[in-house]
Amino acid sequence: MQIRCLLALPLLAFAGAAIAQTSDTATGDVTVGGNVARLCVLGQPSPPTIDVGQMAETSGTRVGRIRTIGAQVVILPASFCNFAGSAVSVTATALVVNDNLAVQPGFARAVNYSASASNWAGSPTDVTTAATASGATPSATSTGASQPLPKIADVRLDLINFSAPGDALLVAGSYSGLVTVTLGPDASSGDVQ
Amino acid sequence: MRLVISLFASGLLILSADRAVAQSATGIVEIDGSVADRCLFTTPSETISVGELALGGTGTQAGRLDVAKLNGQTRTLAGWCNGTAATISVEAMPLINRSFQGAPPTGFETRINYNADALANRVTASDTSTTAGAGTTIPVGLFTGDVVVTVSGSSTATGGLLVAGVYTSKIIVTLTPNVSFGGGSK
Repeated sequence: MQIRCLLALPLLAFAGAAIAQTSDTATGDVTVGGNVARLCVLGQPSPPTIDVGQMAETSGTRVGRIRTIGAQVVILPASFCNFAGSAVSVTATALVVNDNLAVQPGFARAVNYSASASNWAGSPTDVTTAATASGATPSATSTGASQPLPKIADVRLDLINFSAPGDALLVAGSYSGLVTVTLGPDASSGDVQ
Repeated sequence: MRLVISLFASGLLILSADRAVAQSATGIVEIDGSVADRCLFTTPSETISVGELALGGTGTQAGRLDVAKLNGQTRTLAGWCNGTAATISVEAMPLINRSFQGAPPTGFETRINYNADALANRVTASDTSTTAGAGTTIPVGLFTGDVVVTVSGSSTATGGLLVAGVYTSKIIVTLTPNVSFGGGSK
């Protein structure tokens, strides 16, 4: 009888251990969390400034009127938005002579142009300035199509079709304009980065 | 006469010995029980919330993982195992962007990997989230006290830009009792 009991005890011990192995495993967990805010960054424009030089013809039949000014290209390298639903906006300001003198008939103190920002959404963002001969209403703004994915790319800005209002004679002086490129949430995304 | 008396005395002695054997009795009640091998977390859950994961500014590193946010983060669980054969393992799961669906575009990341250590009873179990499943299971023995979980080596696959959104993950520490059969402490 004693022998039978001694044999039975180890069996019970094994059975107990097997239960412990499966039912008494303990797990603890550390939840790790963070977030990444929506962010758009435009690369530093290259070149940062554009100097088109002498804008008026100095000889020939168009002397005093705007000469043909070639396309100007600016690259904003490694521009990115880290979220879906971004767009490029362009605000272009015509080249206007830096004085406040009244313009005489037949003359213009502004040079208009078209600006196009591409390589972001499916179609470029185009805008054309429409300053008057006196330099009024020099600015124009346009917002392009939405980019549906996070994107990193070199945004290309083309400035083309330089022209004087009414092809008038250009007033002498120093002209300056400005192009502002904005990369941010599209219209449906709400806040502006 | 003398002989008769002697026999009588001897008979008394024999009778006395018989009475002594008959009166001695022992009853035994055996008591036994057992304590199963077991492990338990008494502080089973903690949270590491690091906020913004990406570097700010406008420089070349803007928008990429700020490794300082995760590396060195530590939380302390508490638990015990009562058997010498107990083991510990840890599983680090990658931080995944839960807001963005689909594969990230080229140049972007939606997954952050890291290493996790769990220190208990002077032994450390480790795992990396770059591979699925828990790391190597190691003996921890019987102990009661802290289980210190530490994060290190955070990284992304290509060092790309992090897609905006909420990133979550979990580090799971497992204490397994196994079968100890008694024995000394670790």
